[in-house]
This record gives sequence, structure tokens and C-alpha cells, in this order.
Amino acid sequence: MIGKVLVANRGEIALRIIRACRELGVRSVAVYSTADRDSLHHELADESVCIGPPPALSSYLNVPAIISAAELTGADAVHPGYGFLAENARFAEICERVGLKFVGPDSSTIARMGDKAEAREAAAEAGVPVTPGSRGHCESAEKVKRVGAEVGYPLVIKASAGGGGKGMRVVEAETEVEAAYLSASREARANFGDGSVYVEKYLERLRHVEVQVLADSHGETVTFPERDCSIQRRYQKLIEESPAPGLPGDVREGLMAASADLIGSLGYEGAGTVEFVYADGEFYFIEMNTRLQVEHPVTEMISGVDIVAEQLKVVSGERLEIPEDALCADGHAIEFRINAEDPGRNFLPQAGLVEVYNPPGGPGVRVDSHLYAGYMVPPHYDSLLAKLIVHARDREASIRRGLRALDEFAVSGMETTLPLHLAVLEDEEFRRGGVTTQFLADRELESEGGLLRLVQHFS
Amino acid sequence: MDENRPLPLREVELLVELVRESGMGEIRVRQGETEISVRARPEGSDTPRVASGTQGVPELVEPERSPEMDGLHAVRSPVVGTFYRAPAPGEDAYVEIGDTVSAGQILCVVEAMKLMNEIVADVSGEVVEILAENAAGVEYDQPLFYLRPDEQ
Repeated sequence: MIGKVLVANRGEIALRIIRACRELGVRSVAVYSTADRDSLHHELADESVCIGPPPALSSYLNVPAIISAAELTGADAVHPGYGFLAENARFAEICERVGLKFVGPDSSTIARMGDKAEAREAAAEAGVPVTPGSRGHCESAEKVKRVGAEVGYPLVIKASAGGGGKGMRVVEAETEVEAAYLSASREARANFGDGSVYVEKYLERLRHVEVQVLADSHGETVTFPERDCSIQRRYQKLIEESPAPGLPGDVREGLMAASADLIGSLGYEGAGTVEFVYADGEFYFIEMNTRLQVEHPVTEMISGVDIVAEQLKVVSGERLEIPEDALCADGHAIEFRINAEDPGRNFLPQAGLVEVYNPPGGPGVRVDSHLYAGYMVPPHYDSLLAKLIVHARDREASIRRGLRALDEFAVSGMETTLPLHLAVLEDEEFRRGGVTTQFLADRELESEGGLLRLVQHFS
Repeated sequence: MDENRPLPLREVELLVELVRESGMGEIRVRQGETEISVRARPEGSDTPRVASGTQGVPELVEPERSPEMDGLHAVRSPVVGTFYRAPAPGEDAYVEIGDTVSAGQILCVVEAMKLMNEIVADVSGEVVEILAENAAGVEYDQPLFYLRPDEQ
């Protein structure tokens, strides 16, 4: 086992990694910006190094400072968490060059899967179904029109280097192609420094399902039952659950087998997630995330596997040891992302002093959070405050547990997404299960006696 | 002071009375080898006394004394790296305690990823303290030197 891991992240995920290190007897090094002097990851790690001022570009994205901190503390490995440098192929390559183990796949795999058009190619080559659309990049509006003539409209133009809905345009008809192509490409260049785009058939009513994978350096590959992440707001996930409600068994097997084929063909190492859309009984590959994801605890709850600990074993060159029965879902788990955003004011980001913090407890409840009463939420970073994960024997019971735990969860000092989650759990269609990614877009939030309620609009 | 002689506590008590009543800042008396100095607390720095039986008087925590409060200027590390006092091993240190430096003068280097970052004084003054060990790791914002800035 490696001896010391530098955690190149902050917030709840830095704590999550430090906790795994401690249980494995691995020493941990936290890095922090001057805005995070009072943060728990800085307090709980065995060692810590201040790496820069508040802006992420000067601290959590500051590669020389992070590499220097690893050298000074004698760390053997760097765990990037999610976000920041987690899918930065150049950073992984620098780690490789200076002899630091990067917790993740090798830099060339990160680069390959980071390009969405190339990732589609890799999936197609591995025999994984991909959404009908272009092969590779679309270098011109003409090429988009050719794909349109072939697979039909509506189409969606997407940024190859993108994510989060940026550089993305839906095209209803051929006449719109020219303008949409130019604006998508321009937005992609502005956001990701790379204007290349690709195009695929636009599926309107779909569910987002994804498969957690783990692979070691000895050729062992493990795929877990899918997570359903269809409750999204502007392409940001809010609620994730596993298994996906009402998904037929043969579809589950198909998803797991397709994911195993893809990572097998890549010679993948570490943890990753293969993302699919699911509509009308068919699933199509959309992209692969070559890192630990925010929602990994959902899979941990139904499998009993500590995914972060497995990552650390893999990077140490050890073999995965996942018991067979971990690969069948034990019960049902749901995760709620508690963000510092005001659902009543168009999800306006919040920052400031946490006055009261009282997380829920009791059976089947897990809270991953860096909050404490008296903590100042800095305005510089993302808005995730806490993840509440509930686990019970079936979906119905985990929804009841979720309602109970959300109700217990007390955070004061700022608005959060807690009341929105309660409103989602009260929604009849959500309770039936199998909603599409349009779920929140189809509804208005209304305030009723101090509580939020979702009202579907009929057009 | 002769260790065998009892402390002149009675005299001290009288001097304290005198300082209080006179409003003087300090009284110093000397008799033979014994010197007693009694100084009044400057206005406003009184530690608040919590009278017994009263409630709700918050106790003020005295701020920790930092060298900056004594007019010293800290030169901090702008990067994470290794602190070196000299340009190369075996060479003289850029500065020593007691040296007078001018703004812009090199005080040390902090090496980060094989890059030598020369750290310069941002004020002119005297080097009064060197806070990091040669060849030790330093983090961002860590104080490296205390300078006593020149009078304007």
C-alpha cells in the first residue's frame, strides 16, 4: 500500500478521501487556499500545506504549487477528487513525470475520454451502442446537415471538450443548423478553449443512467448496478438513486456488460463512470467520466464497497477484491445534494456564516459534509454543502427515510436546496419512478405555508 | 538582589497606592541593589473585571501579540517551495539578522518545481528575524522574515 496521499481538493470530497486514507493507515496531506484556513479537510489531514490565495486558478488549480506541496511532504500519490484537476490530462501527465502516482487512469486515457467525440468513437469500436449522429468531430455546418439528413431532426450539437450544457444547441430543422453550429462552436471555444463540436440525435424524453466501474492493473474489471441521475437542473444533477426505478433486468445486464466492454477495450485502471441515456427501452452511451463522482456513495450504500479505498488499492498495484454479492443491489439508496442555493430565487448562490448545523442521523442515513456550526461558506467555490444519502430495503422505504432525514436536517444562515428535495419526494410522478431529465423543467416551484411544492405546468 | 532578603512587599504596596493616586505613569525607586518599578496600565487596556454576582459581562479575550503589532513587517512566501538563504550551497547568505536592506533587495529564494523564485524586500529596513530554516519547505503566505521598516 502507498504510504502518503496528497488530496488535491477541498470540501466534502477532500474529507471523504482523508477518511478512507485514515481507515487504510495511509497518511494524508491536505492542500488549502487562504479562504479555507478554517476548513475541516485542513484540520483532519495528517499534514497540510497552504497553496495559494482564494481564486481556484491560483490554488486548487495551481499545478506547480500542488506538485511542490507533494514533493515537500514526500507524498507518493495524488488523489484529485472530482472537479478541479480530476480530468486534467496534463496534470496527470506531470504527476507521472515527477514520479507521483495519480489516483485515476493514465493521462492518455483521460485525454481520450475527455474529448467527447473521441469517446463516442471508442465506445462504438467496443461495440457499445452510441446515439445516432456524427462519427468524430463536425468541422462544418455542412457536415451537421449531412448527419441530419441521415438520422433526422431534432439534433443536438455538443462541445467536444464540454460538459454541463455549455456549447450545446438543439436544432429542430435544417434551416437552423448554420446559426446553431456557429453559436455552439463559439461558446465551446469561450468556455473550454476548444471550439470543436459533434452532433447526435436529440432525444427529448430520456433518463440519465450511469454505471460505476472499477478496474485494477491485473485486468480485473468490476461493474456495479446502475445509478439513475435524471433529477437535474440545467444539466446539474440534484438527486441520484440506485438501482434505477423500474428498469428491466435485461437492460441492467446490458448496461453493465457494455460498460465492461468499454473499459476492457481501454485497458482502464481505477474508478470511472460510464454514462448513458435511456429512452424507449434502448440505451446509448453519452460519455465517460474518468474519476470519482459526487454520487459514488449511492453505489457504496447498495454494494457495501468503499470505492475510494478500492481506488487507493488499485493505485498501489493491489488486486480488487469485490465479493460477488456486492454486484447485486442490496436494497435502494438515494442521494440528495444540499447546495448553498436559494430555490426561491432562481437558485442564487449563497455564502456566509453557518449558524446552526444539525445533520440527520438514525438508521440508513449517511451525511458527507464539511460543514460545522460557525463555518463560513466562502464565495469562491462550488455550492455543494452536504450530501445526504439514505439507504433502505426498497425504494418506497428509502423515500420515507429521505423525507424523515431531510426534515431533520437543519442548516441556518443561508438558503439551501433542502426544501426543494422535500418537494421532489412529495411529487406523485417521482414517487411512481422513472421520470425523465425534464422533470424539474416541467414544473414550477410554489411556496405554500412556508414549504415548497412542485406544480407541473400544462402546456 | 540578595536572595536571602525578604521581598519588600510593604514598600511595593505603598508605591502602587502612590501611582494610583498621583496618576503618574511609572515610579521607580532604588535602594542599594534593590530596584522597584511600578507602572500604571495604559488607558483602555484594562482587562475587564467581572464583578461577582453580576451576569452577562462577556470576558474579552486579549488578542495574541503578533510581531506586526510591534511595528514589524512580515515578508511572506508567495509560493509553495523550498526556502534557501543563499544563491547556491556554500555561498554567503543573502542577508543576516541585523542587516539593513532596501526595498527590492533579494532576501532569499524559494524553489518550486526547479524554478528559483527570488524573494525581495518590499520595504526598506532592518532584518530582525529569519523565520524559516535553510532548505526547509515553506507554504504559501508563510512569514519568512520580519523587517523593522525605516522611519519615514
